[in-house]
Amino acid sequence: MTQQFDVAVLGAGPAGAEAACVASEIGLSTVIIDEATAAGGQVYRAPAARSSRPDPHHAEGDALRRRLDASQATRRFGDRVWDIARTASGELAGYELSMIGANGLETVRTRSLIVATGATERFYPRPGWTLPGVVGLAAATILLKSSRVLPGSNVVVAGAGPLLSLVAHLIIEAGGRVAAIVDVSSLKEWTALVPRMAARPDLLFRGLAWQLEVARKKIPVYHGFDVTRVLGETGVEGVEIARTGSADETGSHGRTVISADAVCLGYGLTPATEVYRLLGASHVFDPARGGWIPELDTAQRTSVPNLYGAGDGAGLLGAAAAPMTGSLAALSAANDLGKLSASTYSSKATQLRAQLAKASRFGEAMAHVARPRPFLVKGIPDATIVCRCEDITAGEVRAAVEAGAKNINALKFATRCGMGPCGGRMCGEAAASLMECNGIERTCIGQFTARPPLRPISLGTVTGDFQYSDIPLPEPAPA
Amino acid sequence: MNRSIDPAKDDDSLRVHDEGAANAARGRFSFNFNGELVTAMDGDTVAAALWASGIRAFRLSPRTGAPRGVFCAMGVCQECVVRVNGRICTSCNTPAEPGMDVRSFVLYDGAGK
Amino acid sequence: MNQQYDCAVVGGGIMGAATAIRLAEGGMRVLLCEAQQLGMGASGVNAGTLSLQIKRVSLMPYALRGHAIWAQAGDEVGFKESGGITLAFTEHEAEILEERMTARINAGAPIEMITGERARELEPHLTDRIVSASYCHADGYANSSLTGAYYRRKLIAAGVEVLELTSVDEIEPTDGGITLRTGDRLHTARRALLATGAWTKEISARLGVPLPIRVRINTVSVTERMPKLAKKVIGHATGLLTLKQSTNGTVLIGGGWQGTGTPEAGRGQVAAETLTSNLRLAQYALPELVDARIVRCWTGFEANSPDFLPMAGRLPGWDNLFVLCCVRGGYTIGPYMGRLMGDYILGREPELPLFDPIRFLENHEQATSPSH
Repeated sequence: MTQQFDVAVLGAGPAGAEAACVASEIGLSTVIIDEATAAGGQVYRAPAARSSRPDPHHAEGDALRRRLDASQATRRFGDRVWDIARTASGELAGYELSMIGANGLETVRTRSLIVATGATERFYPRPGWTLPGVVGLAAATILLKSSRVLPGSNVVVAGAGPLLSLVAHLIIEAGGRVAAIVDVSSLKEWTALVPRMAARPDLLFRGLAWQLEVARKKIPVYHGFDVTRVLGETGVEGVEIARTGSADETGSHGRTVISADAVCLGYGLTPATEVYRLLGASHVFDPARGGWIPELDTAQRTSVPNLYGAGDGAGLLGAAAAPMTGSLAALSAANDLGKLSASTYSSKATQLRAQLAKASRFGEAMAHVARPRPFLVKGIPDATIVCRCEDITAGEVRAAVEAGAKNINALKFATRCGMGPCGGRMCGEAAASLMECNGIERTCIGQFTARPPLRPISLGTVTGDFQYSDIPLPEPAPA
Repeated sequence: MNRSIDPAKDDDSLRVHDEGAANAARGRFSFNFNGELVTAMDGDTVAAALWASGIRAFRLSPRTGAPRGVFCAMGVCQECVVRVNGRICTSCNTPAEPGMDVRSFVLYDGAGK
Repeated sequence: MNQQYDCAVVGGGIMGAATAIRLAEGGMRVLLCEAQQLGMGASGVNAGTLSLQIKRVSLMPYALRGHAIWAQAGDEVGFKESGGITLAFTEHEAEILEERMTARINAGAPIEMITGERARELEPHLTDRIVSASYCHADGYANSSLTGAYYRRKLIAAGVEVLELTSVDEIEPTDGGITLRTGDRLHTARRALLATGAWTKEISARLGVPLPIRVRINTVSVTERMPKLAKKVIGHATGLLTLKQSTNGTVLIGGGWQGTGTPEAGRGQVAAETLTSNLRLAQYALPELVDARIVRCWTGFEANSPDFLPMAGRLPGWDNLFVLCCVRGGYTIGPYMGRLMGDYILGREPELPLFDPIRFLENHEQATSPSH
């Protein structure tokens, strides 16, 4: 079954939801697709119905879902897109999205595609980070919000970025125990961001309230510290931490061991660029926006016709800015399809850009603490697992670089790093950072080539029900 | 890798105890993990039920045979992969159902390549 | 800046690398330029099948020798002599299979016709709907993604000067030689070799000698690691299936199903329809694949000539510019073709005949020609 739309929006977080609403308000036939069962993305993830405590993002999330429900956009939740192809030829040029839904394989055709798939967490490997009981920071929010399960009974929350304080808060709010908060960012780094954070006094105030909460509970907070190893044999037993930038590996100066049975570990966010890569869009490396981002013009257009980017997945600007980029993308798509007058587009876009500049100030501050910090992998032991899927170590990565791999795809070929089922999503940042520490520039390192399927898909789902005679065996090339 | 669970035992120490008796009102059921009974609650994903039961190692890594389990909790990292009634899937976004047969996904035992 | 090489090789896949090594071993000063990194074109993305059963009959002597070279490389390229089974699921396919394998047996390949039951003895997870099959104990596979790293080591050891991430933008004849421009650098060599795979079509046209190259866009898929399902390389009577399970447990599925795209656009695209057919054929042969999750699908460009035989010789009209491409079954045959080409350029008689591209110009009949 194939449906045809003017606009397809991939991702129902704050950017995507707004894009879909705006597009359908203009009169474009619109579909919004998300593999989750409800809109909200990560930041406004619909909390488990059973939770009686208000979620920090309760209000915004509910408003988003209500607005989307009230719109004319077709909603496809729980559907996983596994391939997107550009369809050629004139009037019908556009995209074909292959999806797996509740009813099996489905196809959606669209003239324009707005990608709003958000950002993913950045991980820097440490010895022991693969032990059961170590989860990402975003993972912790999912365990706590959606599953209402604590990561552990005594949890270390570590890494960098705005998710640290959120996770600590959620654990406390859930009645759990935080063993320590270990933040790579120094107090000085945070203080310097206050002017920008003041653009959102409500969020600044909330952050301070969370800090007071932590202090009241006497939870140790280590600023300017990092996890050097996770301890334990078959599960987490504790972490060893040290001051960041303590280059000397021999001494135990400044190293502290903290007991714990779970670690929530993450080092910021990076835009999820798989779809842009799959469709051949050009990218630029912008650490202030999270790393590799699709190259966008001021109308949210990528370098590929009728392909637009919105939200954090196109460059970290924060949740408040996301709806504006979504709106802009939808207006651009409408304009490019000839469904919006140039003057209407122009005035709305100008307005949105002004709002965007203001709304992104807080987001920019968060993007700063969530930025790439490649030096954090410089000292990891050779035996540290970098590619979790394939058990590839830092030593193997370094050796491949020594042997001549100059970009991440050559590294992939030589080591299998990035060839596992996660498609390089867990190891890409770490592998690239290791290459950077070996003297290769990020722009040369590049990104893993994106290939379908966007997520692993079972063979049977693709093949469906068939007879042997259904297989068209064309005349093969001569014997 | 497994911890024997006594289905009669109410071992939910990792579950969040919400006021308003939300958890108490949830239905309970059990499913099989590698032949042992695991207690789950309505709305659990397979991973959440296992995690709440203290089982955090779902499989072994391909080359080093190290225990692995939930890491990203959103269906991306593929570390929580199990076989559910024969189907290979990520347990973190697979709803748990009564009577499910969940097994560790045993990988090819070739010489650790 | 201006360096005089005895030969410049354009293209760092198996063809270019193997030739460059032979030239260097023969005493030449060699430069090799590769636009990406070594071995990331067809050489690095093919399914790695080293099956004598699917090689062209007329290329069998070449295939056997290429196969032997990979066998020597062994672990460095993940070589496995697993044996190979080709399957026929209908009477018509059984006839095709018998015909093809007989020709190959007569050409020297150690292949035998077997029954479906015997096939299942050798490979227990195969379907029981086999009408007829053939078996070759010498068939196997290697890990094509290791091609680049493997040849990099060998090139360095042979003393070839390798410039990766270096595109040759212009090739011009000069006095007694050839000038190659890479960016703003010029290199001069007495001779040059185009070993540019699917990109040769465009390059030869720009040089005024448009070779009649057709580019195929072959699709390969790979699963996640699976429990043991297959020990041998599985094929189909039509050649439209290659299926193998590596030692790491992943199952690679190929067979030449066509995607879309052009070398000029950089990459090809997988086509959902042909992918489905490819996977159906694989699942029909090995039913337990139904549960396997596909992790990645990709395409690779394969250059073919009108008679599906290689182009290996001088570029028509040129004295000192050579071309080596369109070798069907190039992964198997490549290492040996490189030796032959190297010998030819060195002025030696190649052990087996090469394939003069001049045959595609008017009035030229023969496919193979003696050297010079």
